[in-house]
Amino acid sequence: MTAVAALVQVLGGLALAPLLPGAVQSLKARLQGRRGPSPLQPYRNLRRLWGKSAVDPQPTTIVYRLAPCLVAAATAPALLLVPIAGRAPDWSLGNDALVLVGLLALGRFALAAASWDTGSGFALMGSARDLTFAVFAEPLLLLTLLLAALPAASTDLVAMSAAAGGAAPWGEPAHWCGAAAFALVVLVETGRQPIDNPDTHLELTMIHEGPLLEYAGRDLALLEWSGAARHWIVLVLAAELFGPHWGGFWAQLGWLGLGLAVLCAALAVTETAQAKMRILRVPGLLAGGCALALVGLASALVGGLV
Amino acid sequence: MSARGAVGPARQATEVRTVAVGEWRESCLGERDRGGRFCGAYAVRAGEGCRWTALFAAGEVTRAVSVALGAGQPAPTLVDLFPAADWDEREAHDLYGLEFEGRAALRPLVAHTAETESWTAPVGGEGTYQVAVGPIHAGVIESGHFRFHVVGERILHLDSRLFYKHRGLERAAEGLAPDAGLAYAQRACGACAVTNAVAYALAAEAALGLEPDRETRRARTLLLELERLYNHLNDVAAICAGVGFAPGNMAFAALKERALRLNAGLVGHRFLFGSVALGGSGAEVSAARAEALRGELRELGEDAARAWRELTFAASVRARVDGVGALAAADAAALGAVGPAARAAGIGVDCRGSSPGLWYGSGFVAAAPPRASGDVEARLEVRGVELVATLELLRELLDEPVGPGRSRPVAADPRGVARVESPRGETVCAVEVDPAGRLSRLHLRTGSYANWPALAHATAGNLLPDFPLINKSFELCYACADR
Repeated sequence: MTAVAALVQVLGGLALAPLLPGAVQSLKARLQGRRGPSPLQPYRNLRRLWGKSAVDPQPTTIVYRLAPCLVAAATAPALLLVPIAGRAPDWSLGNDALVLVGLLALGRFALAAASWDTGSGFALMGSARDLTFAVFAEPLLLLTLLLAALPAASTDLVAMSAAAGGAAPWGEPAHWCGAAAFALVVLVETGRQPIDNPDTHLELTMIHEGPLLEYAGRDLALLEWSGAARHWIVLVLAAELFGPHWGGFWAQLGWLGLGLAVLCAALAVTETAQAKMRILRVPGLLAGGCALALVGLASALVGGLV
Repeated sequence: MSARGAVGPARQATEVRTVAVGEWRESCLGERDRGGRFCGAYAVRAGEGCRWTALFAAGEVTRAVSVALGAGQPAPTLVDLFPAADWDEREAHDLYGLEFEGRAALRPLVAHTAETESWTAPVGGEGTYQVAVGPIHAGVIESGHFRFHVVGERILHLDSRLFYKHRGLERAAEGLAPDAGLAYAQRACGACAVTNAVAYALAAEAALGLEPDRETRRARTLLLELERLYNHLNDVAAICAGVGFAPGNMAFAALKERALRLNAGLVGHRFLFGSVALGGSGAEVSAARAEALRGELRELGEDAARAWRELTFAASVRARVDGVGALAAADAAALGAVGPAARAAGIGVDCRGSSPGLWYGSGFVAAAPPRASGDVEARLEVRGVELVATLELLRELLDEPVGPGRSRPVAADPRGVARVESPRGETVCAVEVDPAGRLSRLHLRTGSYANWPALAHATAGNLLPDFPLINKSFELCYACADR
């Protein structure tokens, strides 16, 4: 069964991840009365980009050149940290939640450094906004992971997933607070409305798109795959740590699939019903999420979970 | 229908006055004191020199004040009295070599120089930098270069450079027969084709000594309102797209498509091209046709009202449009803003109320938004109010069939000037005809042209990512400037 979990981790993260943003886009189009692209469109984009050559802007240094590889290289092990249906094979990486936070931050840093390297106005603006949000998004991620770690008394994601299983956690207010706050983590890490608009072509409003503007060909393919893998990581985490799941491995695998489908649908609905926020309101929203997580933490302390 | 255009002359009169250079500024100030609103200025080549004319709107009358300038003789500037004259003077400088005294060096407008410093305002201080956007954009957007001077995300100043696709339409029309000039005015812009063509037709008819009859006036008004209908639907959709609100965008884009198809069914062109003729009506509507159109428009109006209600209660949209891109009433007036942008700021300018050559009548009242705050919300709201009024006007116009129209001969004006309200504001067209009956000057100043400086002004102090939204709330046309 661990072998199956390993298979889902690797194949899911590598091959299934692009299906998540594809499904969100496709469902969103239906909700908005458009025919929209097929859920498989991200795969077609990746194939197209992989076959294209790239031109580097001048002057740039190795920082720009290496960034796509670094982002992908930080994302790939992050995929292997996330347990599938409460299991994770031993890749000699451990399954520590804090390592995951660090790897996600490393990817963000690499892209921001590349933006500074090109000096492109839109890339810099996007990166600057992303980093501004990260000041709030990273504590939010840490706090929500802490809420999930308290019942398990460990930051090991496998233990955390096990502690979040069954019906017991739903009696704890801390779990509800954590789930609500993690919804914001999902929005900010996937770069979706109301925080960012993945469909926009307006350079002035871009956040996550901005740093990608200079890239083409395989570099862009790597970055787009990393974006899809980020969807996979946070959505699987959301399902594993804050979604309902119980029973044996196969039952939990079913719960995971269901959780992913529900989360994708929720993203599509949110993006359809909500306009994009004013950019300076986003830190306030994320800070609100942090406050909610802190309330959960207080409740956990009072409830004697610690 | 009783209030609409029943009595009086059926055209806008133009009073022309030629003054000496020394009296130029006093004369123009005098026009302001008499209630005149500056609405454009244009140069005409006269021998070695130039004739420079300023136009003032005073109700149904347009007053033209002219000054004859010798070769190389500078004109006293008007820009300190009428800030709205800034673009007109810069354009005359670039295209006619006119010099102006009393103002800071003219920054190039139509002529594009290589050095950025020559056309941008100097902005300094700690942490200021520039963000350049365009002239090539990612979406289906015309060519325009925007240079934002910013601190962080805050815009301090915006310099915009248009005229990338200046076609020289005005010059190309010179020497043509007046009816051939119509296409030149119409092709200045796709989205205001009817307004431009009607403004040209009214101006040229005045210069030729023609007056439109009742059916021509009704046909032209019908076309103008159909143009406003699809434009306003488009603009509401664009504002929704600007905040990333897809349901509103989709609903209004679909309504716009229905309006375009209705246009195609009526005159054979989705954007109503070729539907205006000189000296008569180019569009006829039979009784059966009018009945069918009324039905289609009623359905469209009901669906638009439903979509509008959805928009009214979309809290995330309201939060985005409130207080963004505010244009104060005093600034709007000084910069000569027109159309929905001016009305949203609380200035009740709408030349539909003073268009005797059309079928609006003296009872026409300019739309007012519920709250004239001059921001994106007010510009959105004013379009909502005008959509209802436009549908009501169309229903009234289609109460009876529109028959064939023909202009009547009357005394000719020395210069024909017409002002027609486009979806973006007042469009002014001046036509001069030489003794041989050929066009000697065609000048077109559209609502977009008048509003571009106001847009730049409204942008200052806002956040950079809010600019696309502010831009869409004005929804100005580049081609109108690049004519």
